[in-house]
Amino acid sequence: MLRRSFRAMGTDVELLLDAEPGERAEGALDRAEAELERLEQVMSRFRADSELSLLNRDGRTEAASHDLVRVVKLAIEARQATGGLFDPTVHDAVVAAGYDRTFDALPLALAADATSTLCVDSTQGPCGGGVRVEGTTIELEPGTRLDLGGIGKGYAVDRVADVLAVVGPCLVNAGGDLAVRGGAWPVGVTDELTLELTRGGMATSGRDRRRWQRDGEERHHLIDPATGRPAVDAPIRVTVVAASAVAAEVAAKAAFLGGDVDLPRVIVTADGSTVLAGGLA
Amino acid sequence: MTDTSHRLYAVVIAVVVFFLSWATIAAKPWATAKPDPRLAALAQREQRLRADAKLVQQVVDSRMTAYRLALKARTAQIAAVKAQAAAAQARAQQVSQSTAQAPQYAAAPSVRVVNLPPLTVTRTS
Repeated sequence: MLRRSFRAMGTDVELLLDAEPGERAEGALDRAEAELERLEQVMSRFRADSELSLLNRDGRTEAASHDLVRVVKLAIEARQATGGLFDPTVHDAVVAAGYDRTFDALPLALAADATSTLCVDSTQGPCGGGVRVEGTTIELEPGTRLDLGGIGKGYAVDRVADVLAVVGPCLVNAGGDLAVRGGAWPVGVTDELTLELTRGGMATSGRDRRRWQRDGEERHHLIDPATGRPAVDAPIRVTVVAASAVAAEVAAKAAFLGGDVDLPRVIVTADGSTVLAGGLA
Repeated sequence: MTDTSHRLYAVVIAVVVFFLSWATIAAKPWATAKPDPRLAALAQREQRLRADAKLVQQVVDSRMTAYRLALKARTAQIAAVKAQAAAAQARAQQVSQSTAQAPQYAAAPSVRVVNLPPLTVTRTS
């Protein structure tokens, strides 16, 4: 079993590859790492020269890369499928909540304007700004900016798993977003619970990490598109297993925000108890 | 004067007759004309080219026939695949309509609870 760990997309990444050590396997791991770096350069909102940052700045691009077009389309489809619980246009709300730089660079306590919140399009609620994709052209409604953090990471995990799968069964884990190709992979969900994943992806959304203080109030990065603020009265975290890391990421976020998700999932409720649902036993 | 003139005419006529006879004999009108070897080579080359062209045409014809047959078979294959794809799309639309609430996230992954040490962990991303 080959294992490679490194930092990318603002989180810890693990590549597990069930293959004989050698040049071929090492080459695949190198290509996987390079693919992750390439996709981060496309979708990171923390890099001023990323394709996504340029789109958010200009509001329009006519020569978007295949990956950006694909992820934006997936995000739009996810918004429709989840009834708006998953929304890629929460960018300004996340920034307004204080998550305006990589989490590594985020001070634990922020003292800034706590009244700031987002409002993209008042006709559609605080979030839900218009995004038009046609061919390689992506156009954002004025005032709309995209945050592809979660779904972009899921997409990258799926792509990297495809790269590694050429060599052998593999698992890719980017800060909790997982995808497997072949093999059987025990994945720890809580201290007491392990799930063996043999196909698909897994993702966890929660408020137990990536949280910070602002004006004495605890904030986290999961924005409720209905209010444009960090979700309240939500469970501590939800882990969902789905056909892909992208689908798991979207479903985990929707389930965290109270959406009806019919997939295998583990919910850690606000009182700390663990609930299995969606066919898990 | 008259005799001198007559002699002069006779001499001129004799000279003219002499040169005409000489030219006629030098032309050897009794000998048959030999064919030009360059023309013969050109004719041979033309024949070879015509033969080659005929051969090439035969090859092209046979290849064109094979290509038309392959094209016909390929067109039939493409039509069959398109028909299958259309049928699959129709089935997918039916499935999509029946699960309109969550079409993309309903695919069943493979997972079970185990009592094994984990190789990795998932956490809030």
